[in-house]
Order: sequence, then C-alpha cells, then structure tokens
Amino acid sequence: MTSTSSHLTYIARVLAVSFLFPVAFLLLLSVSAGWVFPEVIPDGLTMERWVRLATGNNELFGSLLLSLGIAFSVATISTFGGFFTSKHLAYHPGRSLWMRLSYFPFVLSPIIYAALLYFYFISAGLTGNLFGVILGQLLIAFPYSVILFSGFWSVRMQNMEQLVQTLGGSKWQAYRRVLLPMARGLILVCFFQTFLISWFEYGLTTLIGVGKVQTLTLKVFQYINEANFYNAALSSSLLVLPPIILLYFNKKYLFKKRW
Amino acid sequence: MVKPLIAKQISKAFGSEQVLTNLHLELPEHETVSILGRSGCGKSTLLKILAGLEPPDAGVVELDGEAIHSSESRRRDIVYLYQEALLFPHLNLFENIAFGLRLQKEDEKAITRRTNEMIEKLELDGMQHKMPHQLSGGQQQRVSFGRALITNPRVLLLDEPFGNLDADTRSTMQQFFKRIAAEVAITAIFVTHNVKEAILMGDRIAQLKGGSLTMFDSIEAFVRSGESSVQEEIDFWSSISDDNNPSSN
Repeated sequence: MTSTSSHLTYIARVLAVSFLFPVAFLLLLSVSAGWVFPEVIPDGLTMERWVRLATGNNELFGSLLLSLGIAFSVATISTFGGFFTSKHLAYHPGRSLWMRLSYFPFVLSPIIYAALLYFYFISAGLTGNLFGVILGQLLIAFPYSVILFSGFWSVRMQNMEQLVQTLGGSKWQAYRRVLLPMARGLILVCFFQTFLISWFEYGLTTLIGVGKVQTLTLKVFQYINEANFYNAALSSSLLVLPPIILLYFNKKYLFKKRW
Repeated sequence: MVKPLIAKQISKAFGSEQVLTNLHLELPEHETVSILGRSGCGKSTLLKILAGLEPPDAGVVELDGEAIHSSESRRRDIVYLYQEALLFPHLNLFENIAFGLRLQKEDEKAITRRTNEMIEKLELDGMQHKMPHQLSGGQQQRVSFGRALITNPRVLLLDEPFGNLDADTRSTMQQFFKRIAAEVAITAIFVTHNVKEAILMGDRIAQLKGGSLTMFDSIEAFVRSGESSVQEEIDFWSSISDDNNPSSN
C-alpha cells in the first residue's frame, strides 16, 4: 500500500516537472540577455523586456489587453448564452436535431467552417475588426457551451424549477436561488474552457482578423517566424500565465466532486 | 360544506391520447382525498393542471370561489410535491425548509423561529446543518413536507410521495403524514396506485379511470363499490384464516 503510494507520488512529481519545465524554460529565455547555442546557460539576465511590457511601452502590451478583452467577451457571452440556450434546446421537442447541429462546427473543423462563412463576414463588414473576430470565435465557443450544458438540464431539474414556482417563486428566483447555484461548478468549467478556446485561437482569428487584429497568439507566431526568440518567449510566457492563474484560483470548483 | 378547490369539466389530451375527459373534482376543507388509479391513467396530469404546471385543454379550476386556471403556478397557493423529495442539494436542511419563507422575503427572525418550529415538528432536531445527501430517504421526504407546509399553502398536492421508499419507511411516513395532516389541518390530494395506501391516507377516496373521476362518499362506500380489490382481499385473507382454523367452521 505504502509502496504503491510512494510510486504514485514519484510519477506525479515527474509529470509535474515535465509540465512545468517548458514554462520555466520560457520564463528564463524571456529574461535572458543572450543565450546562443551551444551555451547551456544564458550569458546574463535582464528584466528589460518585462519592464517595457509593464510600462505599456511595447506593442505586446496592446496584444495582451486585446487578447484578454476578446477571451473574456467570448467566454462570458458563450457561457451565459449557452446556459440559457441549452435549456431551451433540452426541453424542445426537436432536441436531438438541434443537438446534432451543435456539433456541426467541430465536425467540419473550425477553420473550414470559418472559411465557408468568410463571404458573409466580408459582406457584413466584419473582417479585420474586433467584433468580427469575437463573432467568429463565438461560432466555436457558443456551440461548445451548449453541448457542455446540455447534460445539466433534465426532467429532475425541470421538476425542481416547477417546485420553486409552486412554492411561490418567480422564474428569476428559480434561477438565482436554485439553478445558477446548482450549475456554478459547470459554469466555471465552461467559462474556463471557452476562455481557453478563444485565448489560444489562431486560424480563425488570422482568417477573419486578416492580420489586423493582433492577438497574443498571433504575436507568438509572428516572433517565431521572425526568429525573435526572446520576444517569442516573452509573449509565450504571457500566453501561458493567465490560464494557469485562472486554473489556480478556480481549482476548488474545477476539480471538486459535484452532486 | 366549504369546498376550497373545485375543478370543473377538465379535459386534457396528449396528441391523440385523451387523458382526462370532463373531469369534475371537489376538495373538502381540511380533508385529504386519495386519488387512486393505475399508472399512466392521468393522476399526475390532473395534479399538474391543478397546480398550474400544465394547462388544461378545457375546464375551470377554482380556489375559494375564484377562477385560477389561467393564473401562474406561483400565485395559486397550491404546492405540488413529487415522488422524489427534490431537496436542493446546495442547501442544508434548515435552508431547504426555510426556502419558501425566503421567497416570500420574510424577516430573518421570523424565518429562524418558524423554521426551527417546523424542524421540531418534523422530529429532525439537531440536523439543521446536514446536507441532503447526508439524510435518509424518509428524512428527505420529511424535509420536503416541511418545506411545503411552512408556507401554509391552501392546498397540498402529493404525487405518490412514498413511492421511492422501502416498506418500513413507507409505513412510518404514512403514520407521520397522518399525524402532521391532523395537526395542521391540511387540505390535500394524495395520489397513489396502492389501494391500501389510498385507504390509509385519505379521509375519502376517488378513483380515476378512463379519464373520469369517481368520488366515493366514504371509504366504506368505496370498499362496497366493487371498483376496488379490497373485498377480494378481505375474502382471500378470510379464506386463509378459515383454512388454518377448521374448528371455527
């Protein structure tokens, strides 16, 4: 028993190190004054790039804010939109058809789906601007949210909502006092997942943003293509940190057992 | 005699299936009427129509002489209890019972006092902080009753509330309900497909068959009617008794 436990602890530590090493490496590279092959360690360390970022004197700072704005918008709209939409779909007589349609963007591949809709984005004047990119990402994140919440709505949940009504509660009170608290864990999971979908989105953002909406993910690829390793490491560190912070603060809800 | 709840000419169909046909029901004050019927005969549909959770195709529902069939369920003062206790899993026992009072925005002192009184009445003292998953099936049903009764509803509708309980717990809960019903003078409809339970729980009995409801004047009238299997059961047990005691003949 103890031997199995110590083995599992050892494997967990190895896995943790293997996950953390790339993050640590990127952070180190982002503060390196110079690090040229075949040197094993950097020539020196400098906080110059991070200071420039913190003072806002850097185009990367703009991309960071833009990415945060897009990801928060997409996550918020798709999570709450998906929560209410999935409820209506769950109790709709044509439920199975609507649910099959929700899988459409994923079966087709998001980038091909966006390419097919590109004509409409051009016609509506939504290419190359922020709203177009948010709408494009919602085409992926929103159905994902609907699919995720579809399991929450059941006959039991419908009965609970009706029970609140016969006890004298309004529909809003049923949401506020029963449905939303019961779905809290799932809402956080959905927000986190849709935030990540938007945060790491590349193909669709490139296509609809036509290079004018420079999110952090696009910046990483730009720096890699330019062989600008230090800025690529800095932007990659920025790309990795928000999800880790979100994961840390929400771990209680993301990993706990729910009813 | 005052009849707080009256349903007239209630009809309901689901597609081509006619579930209720011109049904008439009168519920006497402070009495429990047991509605007996086979599974799928429309018992739950009738209760949902009375509670405002399902619209009737035709008919009128009156509460204290006022037509309520087009009112929202939350304004009817009729609480519908399901077979499952349906306790809110994120709230403890106290908060589950206090739920209706919080909806009515009662002040905190009144909520605490009335909820504690109800917990005492339900014989659940010391369990205020327990979560629903820590309670037994019978305890969950008691909390469910308490949550409904604390709001003093005009009518309580019980849809086979003991259906999920084992035989012993079911029997205990039947006695418990009878005691509480007498204490707080409940006006209720108790739906079941179990003849024995219908007789035990109801002050009078009605039978739902073929979409129509037949109300019996007394339990004796129901037993004599031949609609129940009670007389057959009495005859069966009498014959067993006679076989075991031949000297009695």
